Amino acid sequence: MIHDDRVATRRVAAELAEPAERARELAERLGLRPYPVNYWVVTHDEMNELIAYDGFQTRYPHWRWGMKYDRQRKQDTFGMGKAFEIVNNDNPCHAFLQESNAPADQKAVITHVEAHADFFRNNEWFGRFAGDREDPDAAAMLEQHAETIAGYAADPEIDREDVERLIDAVLCVEDTIDQHRALAAERGGDEDLAEELTDIEERLDRLGLSAEVRDQVFDPEWVDDQRDREPLPEPRPDVLAYLREHGTRFDESEGKAVEREPWMDEVIEVLRREAYYFAPQRMTKVMNEGWASYFESLMMGDERFAGDDEFVTYADHMARVLGSPGLNPYKLGFEIWRYVENGANRREVVDKLLRVEGVTWRNFHDVIDFDEVAATLEPDPEIAGVTGDTLDDMDPEDPRVDAEALARATAGDLDADAYPWAVLTYEGLCERHFSLAKPANRGFLERIGRGELERVARYMFDDEVYPDVESALADVDYGAGWARMREVRESHNDVTFIDEFLTEEFVVEGNYFTYEYSEAAEEYRVASVDPDDVKRKLLLRFTNFGKPTVAVYDGNYDNRGELLLGHRYNGVALDIEQAKRTLERVFELWGRPVNLATIVTEYDDHEVEVARRRGREPRGDEVPIRLRYDGETVERHALEPDLAEQIAADDVDYDTTPEEWLA
Amino acid sequence: MGLREDLERFREIGDERRPDLAEFIREGDLSGSSHDAVRIPVKLVDLPSFEYDRRDMGGVGQGDGGTPEPGQPVDVPGDPGDADGEGDEEGDPGEEGGEHGYYEMDPEEFARELDEELGLDLEPKGKRVVEEVEGDFTELTRAGPNSTLDFEQLFKRGLKRKLATDFDEAYVREACRVAGADARDVFEFCRAENVLVSLAWVREAMNDIAEEGVSLDEYASFDEFAERVERDPVSARIRRDGLRDVPFRREDERYRQPEVIEKKQKNVVVVNIRDVSGSMRKTKRELVERTFTPLDWYLTGKYDEAEFRYVAHDADAWEVERGEFFGIRSGGGTRISSAYELAAEILEEYPFSDWNRYVFAAGDSENSSNDTVENVVPLMREIPANLHAYVETQPGGNTINATHAEEIERELADRDDVVVARVGGPEDVTDAIRTILSTEGTEE
Repeated sequence: MIHDDRVATRRVAAELAEPAERARELAERLGLRPYPVNYWVVTHDEMNELIAYDGFQTRYPHWRWGMKYDRQRKQDTFGMGKAFEIVNNDNPCHAFLQESNAPADQKAVITHVEAHADFFRNNEWFGRFAGDREDPDAAAMLEQHAETIAGYAADPEIDREDVERLIDAVLCVEDTIDQHRALAAERGGDEDLAEELTDIEERLDRLGLSAEVRDQVFDPEWVDDQRDREPLPEPRPDVLAYLREHGTRFDESEGKAVEREPWMDEVIEVLRREAYYFAPQRMTKVMNEGWASYFESLMMGDERFAGDDEFVTYADHMARVLGSPGLNPYKLGFEIWRYVENGANRREVVDKLLRVEGVTWRNFHDVIDFDEVAATLEPDPEIAGVTGDTLDDMDPEDPRVDAEALARATAGDLDADAYPWAVLTYEGLCERHFSLAKPANRGFLERIGRGELERVARYMFDDEVYPDVESALADVDYGAGWARMREVRESHNDVTFIDEFLTEEFVVEGNYFTYEYSEAAEEYRVASVDPDDVKRKLLLRFTNFGKPTVAVYDGNYDNRGELLLGHRYNGVALDIEQAKRTLERVFELWGRPVNLATIVTEYDDHEVEVARRRGREPRGDEVPIRLRYDGETVERHALEPDLAEQIAADDVDYDTTPEEWLA
Repeated sequence: MGLREDLERFREIGDERRPDLAEFIREGDLSGSSHDAVRIPVKLVDLPSFEYDRRDMGGVGQGDGGTPEPGQPVDVPGDPGDADGEGDEEGDPGEEGGEHGYYEMDPEEFARELDEELGLDLEPKGKRVVEEVEGDFTELTRAGPNSTLDFEQLFKRGLKRKLATDFDEAYVREACRVAGADARDVFEFCRAENVLVSLAWVREAMNDIAEEGVSLDEYASFDEFAERVERDPVSARIRRDGLRDVPFRREDERYRQPEVIEKKQKNVVVVNIRDVSGSMRKTKRELVERTFTPLDWYLTGKYDEAEFRYVAHDADAWEVERGEFFGIRSGGGTRISSAYELAAEILEEYPFSDWNRYVFAAGDSENSSNDTVENVVPLMREIPANLHAYVETQPGGNTINATHAEEIERELADRDDVVVARVGGPEDVTDAIRTILSTEGTEE
């Protein structure tokens, strides 16, 4: 359904109603199961506003939206970052189309959006937020949050600046959540602690003292301290939750930590909830955009969802999206998805071929005539070339044909020239779009390595099923690629996706390389073109939102109620200046001094000089440090060796600098 | 929409983050600005978070039509300190990271802020009278387009006219009944009483009274009449009879006209002189730029019209465009007087009666022997200007023969329109600017 509330957009909206309906039909026929989508036609400026608000219409009051809006507008003016669409994860999804897009762009955007809506609904990471409920109910949730926070900001009892300061502080650590766990799961973890506390209180109660005497004997602060007495058995990755549960507020006038006001707890919780809501989108950016681009390309390009006259505009649009320089998530995701599809299809074909009498993994490349295979895999012309004129040749009993639609088309109720796919079933479409039959993928089958062949063959028992290649190929399931894609789309996130499916071919063909900073040359240098290095470097960029992992290591550090955060050091140092400023904000949420354990690499001036002269990299010293902020200044201390050991990660090395690289 | 407020708040915060002007002048990047817009880089406001050190993190790039060789330098966009190749000062890499935005101000605002920042108070003098500057529509003329007709004026004048011609007719009629008085007597009496009646009217009234058969001897004398008959004041009559018609006359029409104000325009011409000889190395050149550029902005902001001329010199002087002025380096020796000769020539285009003149020269105080005392000083005395300034850029102390500044100070100690400022490093720049701008000759 297309919504519009302005006269000027009505025309645009009317034109899009039909494509939107058809796109949904096509998406479902291709095996997608998207959330319903409400389309809205918006002006250019409204689009910028929506982007600033992450795709929603109402958010809580905060200057950061203003900042995003400002940037978006400037980018826009300079012709970068032209926005075509924005769609949010909700049921129903809301997608916003820009009024000024060309009709071809609008159609492309709609197909793209349908695929996103499918991804939102079916990817497990998104499911974690909603929990048992099927709906994230996002728009309502964010609106309610907006009202809550706006209410506090407007409350005469509450200083508006305090609200802003609190939001600022929370946003600084909004990424230090445990995005791999569901929002609700984290709750359970903290209940144990709450119980410990009741234990202490109960034990005191059991002493049978009057309240007055009890308070005299046991200082309430001491009782409080008991809560965090024991060092944490495990570091807590959800720093934000820990701060909410155990943090206090530093009261300037009293000069000490005091309980937070209830509104503060609520604001923290509201923002944490939003962080969890948005986390899956950031964890699946590559997959999700790739998925949408894949289906957009299938629907717009292969199924000619755009009219012939619009196709050129579309091709141009696609080229711009995928062809923008550098490593863009659309392109990366799109390529990987195609590899997933081709890989699964190849396995299916190979599985059948290896069951032909006389074909083994050893002689595979010698006995198989790949041209013959390619010709056999070509889709049936009846399926590939459906038009209004070929309807009479189609057999309604054929499982690849949608008998009911065929009847309507024959009766003239359905335009088979414009929508040939409409008379085909999913099975028919699988054959029509079988990836290995496409010219671009010729040779993919032949390129299969012997290692992979052997793996497929190893556990194959009935390997003499088919008398010849032709009968083997007749049994090929054309849907293998798509089925595998849907499986992957259900359970993966960007990290696992790239880790499992990024291929050597992709790296080599794309001329990808890693770069590192040379301390000696004082500039960046190309470090490696090895596909494994490239993959590792890419994973660094996608693991934990591309940010360092910081967790709570102790809530009663040094027995003085100080917070100890630990940066799990994986060989890549923190931006120390930013870390210091972040620590200052964490203090706002903890109320007492806060510490951060990390490791820095230091270079001796002399060493750098010598290295420079000899054309090699200086060897830095890794120094474990603890930064401590007490509300006034950040001080640097040496870190206790046992803590240093705890925060150091040992398994991965993200450094791709070669031994000799400074010629 | 709430976003508007968010945007406003963001701008407010951005303003708070603006570096103060003195810091900007001493250390900031002056290059983004032009004569009509001063752009002050502002570190973009965003919240910090735990991030990797960008340099330590490295990254993945894509080769342009080929796989690059390891060891090949790559340009990583957005890396701090990478762009200009100048090594960062102390500090961790990435410290200065973050994008920059710009706070843009026009030269007027710049001048105001600098006044505040440096405690300056330069009152620019108006020099040239510019005629026919249209002021408010407060002047009135007798002709003009209908739309500018001042109806209030027309009405007032009509009313005045009515009041002036209006008189207490009943009073005059009674006065006609004084025994033995003829028309002229009545007329004169009335005029003496400030009743604006005409002789003709009195005559007519007397005839009318006679015709009506009313006694003309009611009062024995004018004195008796005055005693017995009270005059109605105008206001009472208007209140009683109403205003009736106000006569609108063509001659009462007035049209509003813009007021012609004689406006003093404040013009300034600045001649910037710089020694470009071999001894003026990069640091010195930069110090000159840091000092001269804000002076240009400031004066642009202060004056209605500002013209800048740039003179470069070694042993000879020649005029250059602003764009090249700060970058030029030549070989030769130094003869500062050559520049003043050229400046004198240039300034002929700007008569001192019409223009405020500033002559700013900068260099490292080196000059060919005796040139200062024999040539420069007399030229400086001869060239009328609001201010002659010499900015000595001498990082790391003077060399022995660098005596130009000293000689100027000594020889021209009697003049209050000459100032010497010394800049050893960026930290001296604002003081130099303050010294220069707070000195000014009292005008003859």
